[in-house]
Amino acid sequence: MTGKTVEIKILGKTIQAKAGETLVHALWAAGMPESVKTGCAGGVCGACTVTLRYSDGRPGGTELACMKPVEAGMEIFPCPVEDDNPVLPVADPELSHLQSAFPTLNRCTKCGSCTTACPMSIPVMDSVLRMQKGEFETVAEDFTTCIHCGLCRFVCEDKVKPHNMGLWVRRSLGMSRNVAITNNEDNAEQEWRYLLAEDRGERLQRARQFRKSGRVGET
Amino acid sequence: MDWAKESLQKLESSRPARLNQSAPLPDSTAAEALLKKYHPDYLGHERQLAVGPNAGEQKVPLELAQLLEGDSPIEPDYSPDPEIKTDVLIIGGGGAGATAALTLEGTGLTVHLATKLRLGDSNTVMAEGGIQSAIGPDDSPRRHFADALVGGHGENDVNLLRILCEQGPESIRWLSQLGCLFDQNEDGQFRLRGGGGTSVPRVLACRDYTGLEIMRVLKDAVRLTDTQLLEEHAAMELVDDGNGRVTGAILFDRNAGRPVCVSARAVIMATGGSGQIRLQGFPTSNHIGATGDGLVLAYRQGCRLIDLDTYQYHPSGTCYPEALVGQLVTEAIRSIGAQVVNAEGVHFIDEMAYRDVLAGSIIKEIAEGRGVKTPHGKTGVWLDTPMIDMKNGPGTLARQFPGLIHRFERYHIDPTQTPILIYPTLHYQNGGILVDSECRSNIPGLWACGEVTGGLHGKNRLMGNSLLDITVFGRRAAQSVLANIPERGAVTLTNLQRFRAERTKIKNKTVSPKFFPTASGMKLTPAKAQEKSQKDTNSSNFEPRNPFNF
Repeated sequence: MTGKTVEIKILGKTIQAKAGETLVHALWAAGMPESVKTGCAGGVCGACTVTLRYSDGRPGGTELACMKPVEAGMEIFPCPVEDDNPVLPVADPELSHLQSAFPTLNRCTKCGSCTTACPMSIPVMDSVLRMQKGEFETVAEDFTTCIHCGLCRFVCEDKVKPHNMGLWVRRSLGMSRNVAITNNEDNAEQEWRYLLAEDRGERLQRARQFRKSGRVGET
Repeated sequence: MDWAKESLQKLESSRPARLNQSAPLPDSTAAEALLKKYHPDYLGHERQLAVGPNAGEQKVPLELAQLLEGDSPIEPDYSPDPEIKTDVLIIGGGGAGATAALTLEGTGLTVHLATKLRLGDSNTVMAEGGIQSAIGPDDSPRRHFADALVGGHGENDVNLLRILCEQGPESIRWLSQLGCLFDQNEDGQFRLRGGGGTSVPRVLACRDYTGLEIMRVLKDAVRLTDTQLLEEHAAMELVDDGNGRVTGAILFDRNAGRPVCVSARAVIMATGGSGQIRLQGFPTSNHIGATGDGLVLAYRQGCRLIDLDTYQYHPSGTCYPEALVGQLVTEAIRSIGAQVVNAEGVHFIDEMAYRDVLAGSIIKEIAEGRGVKTPHGKTGVWLDTPMIDMKNGPGTLARQFPGLIHRFERYHIDPTQTPILIYPTLHYQNGGILVDSECRSNIPGLWACGEVTGGLHGKNRLMGNSLLDITVFGRRAAQSVLANIPERGAVTLTNLQRFRAERTKIKNKTVSPKFFPTASGMKLTPAKAQEKSQKDTNSSNFEPRNPFNF
């Protein structure tokens, strides 16, 4: 498992990679760091989208280069996805709002490409069908882990924009929520006077005491 | 994970006895002793700077010292001629920069936001565990303050810290109104968790994707404003008016392959941290742009830096599989019950100890031979993740930490069944640019917010205080710029020339900033070299080029 090298192909060029490393690290080591756009190298920014195929005939597909370990014979093609213009979310969203914000919503032909393309295993197509029915709470849940790599939109023949709609639904619901947030101002002045002692050592001692109960003079 | 079979058996056999038992939490004297002996900050890998405003003062890590004393990549004969004129130039496309841009929307000021990657590619997007805000029962901004001050070893700037804590509830309101969805309990209230060093539950989260949730909302919101985005534009240098005031920057347009000079009435530095400089060879949880560029640029202008003698080594970085080394395993996993256990199956420390103390104690266990060695030669200790479902009911781990499950899945590791091997990872730059309570540096015209600043977190930051930091101080920097914006000034390289003259007395040949991790081999490539490399690519020669002198 250590020390073994495998051959992979990127843009038609064969390179050596260490077994177990990710595609991004293999490209760095091969001196081709900018052949695939990279942002976080941790699977959450969505920059390093690629398509790939295997030499043994297994179905290939789309991947994040920073999360995909190399395999012998793998062939990689960079697949950068351009950003799409965002659409202003609305409080208390209704189906009609979503439809006018994203007119292609109902063009989905249920081919399932978007679900296949998603590197985060989101049930994208099912969620698009839920959007068509206005089931927004479930849609928001579906897109909790969406990194907005854009692959679902990129592969859609019918110009449906699942991840953009997912974010629109989440933001719209978020703006509509009204969770009470209270500021605790009880004894605030007295407590600040106590905590902001001039002497550094004294201040630290008082902070140690205060955090036990959250009050002055109690433990 | 057959290679760890023996140790895993010990861990499993000690689990029933450990399950509801807590481990010792070192008192402050024991903690200090532990830190001095084992924490990377205390091992003497540091030195004083020979040039610049901090010369001869507080030591900084060796790797950072090289960069801070380094020469600029700007050619000596380059003459700055502004192509872009704006009111406010924000440098950095993470949470702090995006928050500042949003706050400046509709104020009548023109705003440009430059990032060397894409908007949102940042440490913010990678934050997992959550954001602190004193909104729970028995909590108050004062208690939040006390927790953070003790965590920071009493060294925090108390004015900044008080602002942070007092602005907590308002910040959650602001993020919610933008459409951030924080996890709620069944009663509709926000779910609050504990973090290392919080005396009451205070951390709000969106599963283990809290930073992603905040960043994707900020990014969407910024893209709906009039902010002019300069993506893939790396800041190479700041410019000044000849009398010490910062008046813009020289950016490198990575696509056009050439420098672009920007004249601005105010510059907000929001470039984040520096985990990718890999102090002492540590792995990092940071994104690829975290190379400390903002520190270097500000230092050449004469900005004072503070508290850079300490960095945060997050106790739970991934240690296996090799491809995930350094990636974060959120502290929230520990706060809901996963214990830290050594190779012998011993639960050696309370997992909610302060981050620096826990990191030090993990390094100690390994130094004393109680670590687990991977086939790749790394050593770590166990994070007993299967305990989460045992303590909180089946399905808890998968429901609350989908990110963790997703990352390990492709390596055929199921954290609900198998513990994760962890080792401290370079996570956060505690110190940075010295700022006042209005986010102003000591150089006029230059504001700073977020991870690039120092003082707020003292010598150790608590979980959930950095997402709050970028929100509170991103807004505050923008408000201060709005209230204090100077008139447009001349654009010169006077400050750089002064710095260059000063550094003729040292031998440091480093050219900085770094822009990208050394391991990546990424460079800022001028247009001519880009064409050449394109030609070479076509003739199937993939040798990397280094046409710039850095």
